[in-house]
Amino acid sequence: MIRNYFKIAFRNLWKDRIFTSLNIIGLTAAFSVAILLTMYAVFQLSFDRFHEQAQYLYQIYSEDSTPNGFKANLSNPEPFAAAFKNEIAGVEKITRHRGSGILVSYRDKQLNMHASYVDPDFFTMFSFPIIKGNTQNPITSGSSIVITEKAAKRIFGSQNPIGETVSILRDEKEVPFTITAIAKDFPNTSSMGFDIALNFKSQPKHAYARNIGRWDMKNHEVYMQLSKEMTPDQLEKSTTDFTQLHYRDEIDNAKRDGAQPNIGGVYKQIRLLPVSDIPFANFSQGKAIINRTMPYLVFGIAILIVCIACFNFINMSIAKSAQRLKEIGMRKTLGANKLQLFFQFWGESILIFLTATGLGILTASLLLQPFQTLFKTKASFETIFSPSALLGLILSLTIITIISGGYPSLLMSRLGTLQSLKGKIEKNGKNFLRNGLIIFQFGITILLISGTLVLWNQVEFMRTKDLGFNKDQVIAFPLNGKRNDQQAIQLLRDALEDKTTIMSITASNNILGFGKDGNRSTSFMGFEYKGRGVNTHMLVVDKDYVETLDLNLIEGRSFRKNLASDSLSVIINESMAKQLNEKEILNTKIILEDSVAFSVVGVIKDFNFQELDRTIAPMTLFALPNWNLRNVYVKVAPDNLEQSFINVKTAWESVEPNAEFLGSFLDENIERTLHKERTMIAMIGSGSLLAIILSCIGLFSISLQVVAQRRKEIGIRKVVGASVSKITMMLSADFLKLVFIAFIIATPIAWYFSSQWLQNYTYHINLTFWIFLTGGSITVFIALATISIKTVKAAIQNPVKSLKTE
Amino acid sequence: MIQITDLEKFYRTEEVQTIALNKLSFNVKEGEFVAIMGPSGCGKSTLLNILGLLDDPDAGSFKFNGEEVAGYNERKRSDLRKHNVGFVFQSFNLIDELTVFENVELPLIYTGVKPAERKKRVEEVLEKMQIMHRRNHFPQQLSGGQQQRVAVARAVVNNPKLILADEPTGNLDSTNGNEVMDLLIELNEAGTTIIMVTHSEHDAKYSHRIIRMLDGQKVTENVLV
Repeated sequence: MIRNYFKIAFRNLWKDRIFTSLNIIGLTAAFSVAILLTMYAVFQLSFDRFHEQAQYLYQIYSEDSTPNGFKANLSNPEPFAAAFKNEIAGVEKITRHRGSGILVSYRDKQLNMHASYVDPDFFTMFSFPIIKGNTQNPITSGSSIVITEKAAKRIFGSQNPIGETVSILRDEKEVPFTITAIAKDFPNTSSMGFDIALNFKSQPKHAYARNIGRWDMKNHEVYMQLSKEMTPDQLEKSTTDFTQLHYRDEIDNAKRDGAQPNIGGVYKQIRLLPVSDIPFANFSQGKAIINRTMPYLVFGIAILIVCIACFNFINMSIAKSAQRLKEIGMRKTLGANKLQLFFQFWGESILIFLTATGLGILTASLLLQPFQTLFKTKASFETIFSPSALLGLILSLTIITIISGGYPSLLMSRLGTLQSLKGKIEKNGKNFLRNGLIIFQFGITILLISGTLVLWNQVEFMRTKDLGFNKDQVIAFPLNGKRNDQQAIQLLRDALEDKTTIMSITASNNILGFGKDGNRSTSFMGFEYKGRGVNTHMLVVDKDYVETLDLNLIEGRSFRKNLASDSLSVIINESMAKQLNEKEILNTKIILEDSVAFSVVGVIKDFNFQELDRTIAPMTLFALPNWNLRNVYVKVAPDNLEQSFINVKTAWESVEPNAEFLGSFLDENIERTLHKERTMIAMIGSGSLLAIILSCIGLFSISLQVVAQRRKEIGIRKVVGASVSKITMMLSADFLKLVFIAFIIATPIAWYFSSQWLQNYTYHINLTFWIFLTGGSITVFIALATISIKTVKAAIQNPVKSLKTE
Repeated sequence: MIQITDLEKFYRTEEVQTIALNKLSFNVKEGEFVAIMGPSGCGKSTLLNILGLLDDPDAGSFKFNGEEVAGYNERKRSDLRKHNVGFVFQSFNLIDELTVFENVELPLIYTGVKPAERKKRVEEVLEKMQIMHRRNHFPQQLSGGQQQRVAVARAVVNNPKLILADEPTGNLDSTNGNEVMDLLIELNEAGTTIIMVTHSEHDAKYSHRIIRMLDGQKVTENVLV
């Protein structure tokens, strides 16, 4: 019997190849995209869950009360970790962590690598298994290091690295380190990553030795493993005495400056952030807000797309059942019962769904590489190759097949014998289901298109926004060679001196946007000013910084060419000036903690030195000679930017022959900061494209059926004088009405979600009706074009032919 | 075999009620060949649908083999139908996606006959209908006469007690029509009861008795020798 069902199912599907192809194409496209999107969502959600102790691992941060509200602080002082472990019950293990770029030399090789300075507990807390060498205490000694398999290959090739010595540039000296262990490469779902792990104490002086015992210098994160007997909440509550003891000055200053305590009545509250929540954490009002919207949104799009394709299937199957009435009637006459008929039609659905699933998996595997490139993700099929994920996939497919295939089959099996035999279908419900499904499909489509348009407008707004500095003509790159920074900059200036396209060169210890090496940092400091605490970002710059970046000087002057003469001068931004609140801002003295007085010589207009969605914070520019300047900025002439880039690259390679040139224009750096938004645009944009294609496939096939059903009516109308345009309008109007209803329903929803999303941005576009109207118009236009393929053809057909057919 | 008494059937739309059968009564004995005649709309097809257990009367009695079947639900009607009634339609009503063999096999599948037995019985009936050489063809590949032979084969493969034929020659030329009528006679002579609706006086003459209908009622009944 089953063989018979499938044989007949195949013949039926083969007979109506247009219907079958449309369904299989639609379902294949939906399944393949849903597989890829689900893979992406699962991948994102599984970040940092691979650590065996994940449920007990936390990052420690503090909720600090400031005069401007609550702020989260993830940086900790040197003595914090040891004191916390000793004084707080429930801390099983603890490690400090600071990431930094380092220069590694081995024989004639020089490599820029990413280092993590950690405490010995690190390798027993996190699951970064040691596969070779000292598995117990790999970094107990200050001169021992752990490298990953990939890093080992980069430095040593196939040679055994255990016991080998490499040199690491520290405090301008090459310091030897011995490789004691090799760590397994991290899984792609690790948000933490390094090439080399060193003992925390092996850091340069400015990062470690200078800060020993100081509670006021904070520069690293701290992670802890919680005892199984304790909850994070209990531990957080037990830290009040600890903060009172170690942060007394900080708390007193906050009180003095007018800060308010939190609900618990404290000014500094230690908080624990689960390690697996870190990739999704945003900080607001001093607390971590876990936001998994992006993966869930992607998963939601996958579900919606599958829904659209399934609705097509349901609609097409029901519409097609009209052509099979005689068969249904005859089978019933010959004794078929409802169950037998249900299984027969359901068999056809299963055949289509199985084919589409197979093709969907195949298509997804073919699209995997472009998908990974487009969305810059390492998500792969491995992500969903877990028994639970596979079970979920099989279960979803079964449910989809049962519902989408089962419903039309149920309807067909319940048709009356006689009506079916006569070829008459009872029209109950006036196509409510069909119309409802079409409205739903187009509603989703309009929602996604409007979402894409809002996102695109916001990104364009951010991209083209005046950031307050010249991003088009400035090339930036890190000073990643062996030479002393000042010396390297001077040699670069010499090498580019005769190039007419080079307009100016400068350097600073921070980068604007995201550099090509992916690094980004900012220094933040606080000091007392006239009896109150003042906070500012700190930027140490070389001469010509203001000029190279075209910063807008609104008061005073820039730093002199002879930088040494300005070593006690600072330039501040408008926000900082507002904070100092002086009538005569120029020559105002600010005295830092080591009693050195700096004089304000200039005020620059606020510029975006952080993420584009943040309010511009106070900023102070220093001209400190011999300070570590990590990045070079070269301003080039606007014409022939490409050649100028090559000139800068060549010059840098002559200065540091062994260092990789990681230069990029600042507009590219800014573009990198928009990665999250670009990914969202790509996701929602492709989702809306697929949604409209699928909805139109559905609409097309329904129009095909409707035109076939109304062939006689069209013929009669033409005979009595209806014009082609009138008939086309008549046939299209019913469908357009549905798209219009979808627009009415979807627009307020799209408006609500868009305005909620825009709240994440300090600077954002204002929503206008035009954005949504454009979304609706695009949908209506495409829908109209789709229906017209069939309606116009039906309208221009010779009426005699259609009447004869009838 | 069949006893109908005061059988009534109405069709209702929102505003109009049409009487399709109006207190119709007659009997059919086992082994009889009865022709039902009358103009379009007189209720012939409605009667045939009720006799074939495809439809339910609104009033009156319908006894099949002594059993009152009026008021049976769809499941019971279907069960009775598939074991006792075979149908032959004017438009053949073969399923286009099935081959000749599969079309004829269909009633046996629905009555739960085992595959080996099915094959044997289908081949037997195809041989009898002289259509065996076309067993793997699809309906569209056959002439009208051949299609009606297949339809007759399908109607008799389950050895039904009753065959209901709705204008079996209506779509055929005279030669093919006569051949089909010969087949029906052959079946009747073998003991199968046949009730045939027809417009053709020529075909009606093959029967033992002609019932003429008008406006849902029996007007005359002629017994032929």
